[in-house]
Amino acid sequence: MDARNFTFMFYGFLAAWLIVMLYVIVLARRGARLKKELDAVKKIASHPEQHADRR
Amino acid sequence: MREKIAIGTAAAAAALLANNLYQMFMVLPDEALQGAIYRILFFHAPAALVGMIGYFVALTFSILYLSSKNFLHDSLAASVVEVSLVFSVVNLVTGSIWARVIWGIWWTWDARLTSALVCVLIFFGYLVMRRAIEEPTQRARLSSALCIFGCVDVVIVYKSIDWFRTQHPGPVLDFRTGGGKMDPAMAHIFWLNFLAILLVAVALVLVRTRQESTAREIDSLRRLAHTAA
Amino acid sequence: MKTIRHALLIARKDLALELRTKESLNAAGAFAIVILVLFSFAFEETEQIKEIGGGLLWLVFAFAGALIFNRSFARELPNDCLDTLLASPLSPASLVTGKALANFVMLLAMELISIVIFGIFFNVNWTRHIGELSLVFALGTWGISILGAVFGALTVNLRLRELMLPIIIYPLLVPLLIAAIELTKLLLSNQSMTPNDFLWTKLLIVFDVVFTALAMLLADTILVN
Repeated sequence: MDARNFTFMFYGFLAAWLIVMLYVIVLARRGARLKKELDAVKKIASHPEQHADRR
Repeated sequence: MREKIAIGTAAAAAALLANNLYQMFMVLPDEALQGAIYRILFFHAPAALVGMIGYFVALTFSILYLSSKNFLHDSLAASVVEVSLVFSVVNLVTGSIWARVIWGIWWTWDARLTSALVCVLIFFGYLVMRRAIEEPTQRARLSSALCIFGCVDVVIVYKSIDWFRTQHPGPVLDFRTGGGKMDPAMAHIFWLNFLAILLVAVALVLVRTRQESTAREIDSLRRLAHTAA
Repeated sequence: MKTIRHALLIARKDLALELRTKESLNAAGAFAIVILVLFSFAFEETEQIKEIGGGLLWLVFAFAGALIFNRSFARELPNDCLDTLLASPLSPASLVTGKALANFVMLLAMELISIVIFGIFFNVNWTRHIGELSLVFALGTWGISILGAVFGALTVNLRLRELMLPIIIYPLLVPLLIAAIELTKLLLSNQSMTPNDFLWTKLLIVFDVVFTALAMLLADTILVN
């Protein structure tokens, strides 16, 4: 394979996948946070009287 | 079930990408003038296409939301815009790296680059506005309106390409030129890679939409707890 | 027809209010003058000013416009005036168009002040193509005004309203600003229009027509809960 501009091509591919990966990480973190929140809210919803003071 | 579809789509995308990368590096010859770097095209242009298609898919969902008032449509519109934005940024960054080598500059205010950037700014504004609205119905309603305005504007923005002198390489794909500009083997890989990137985008949208539904569920449970207490 | 009559009514109300308080015009006018003075430090008063003058002016108009548009609907918030207006027989479309008309007149007034000051500060004779220039200003200003009215309405109930409006409208205004800047540059440097330049005029017209239609179509969605 022609080696001309190979480094920059590598940077290009790296950058492209880095951006997508970064987004996947953001998504995963947001997903984890939402799950935690959902569990917490479910608990409150099932026993509203115990948590009345928290709100 | 929805999770399984997302995982399946992602797996299909991964397999296709592996095949495409192998073809790109091991089978395809180098481009005569540009050397190895022309391969960026296989990601640069599909990312742009996926982004563009995404904005208009979001437009469809926005219109659907306005007629149906179904929150799923709003979630889909928001998710699609967000994922499209990611691919538009991939498009800009890979383009910039390619331009550094071939044109010797990172950026130029060529029409097509400018319109791609403006497009990103418009839909970035869309996401910023969504975050500023708490009330779900209001958020869905106003975002849908903004999405419609944004998409119409994108069309006008892109129209200006023909009116500015452009530095960007002209169309090479068959459906734009009527054929003959691109080596068929390259075009084949190009479309395969487009499909792969589209699949990645679909998987991301599925995950993101699910999160939106979860967020809405949290919201309604909170209200329920509020009224119960 | 009724929509137009109602729109004129709203515009008259807003302009009468503005004439009495002058809050938007004072703010926008002062802002425009300050920016023009600041530009004089950034750029030498030479021939080059004719090249960049169009750009400078339209940036001033767009920035000062945001000040006017922020007030346009926010003015109706105290005493629930907006809800009353929406409950009245006026259609949302006529409300948005009326607001856009008022914005249009205010912005044009501000532009007139700006270009006179620009001419004096930078020693540019802008009166040579006054007919064409007025046309360009009117078309460009209407486009900015209608988007300003729509997004003034859209952001009126949001937190960070003042921040949100510019973030949203400036990218949307790009095609309009490109066309207006190109044409103004041309007219300020005393060249005559070539057929190529009519494309920019057409772009302005298309932009105005499309977004006015869209604004009237979506006014219900934006204003009514």
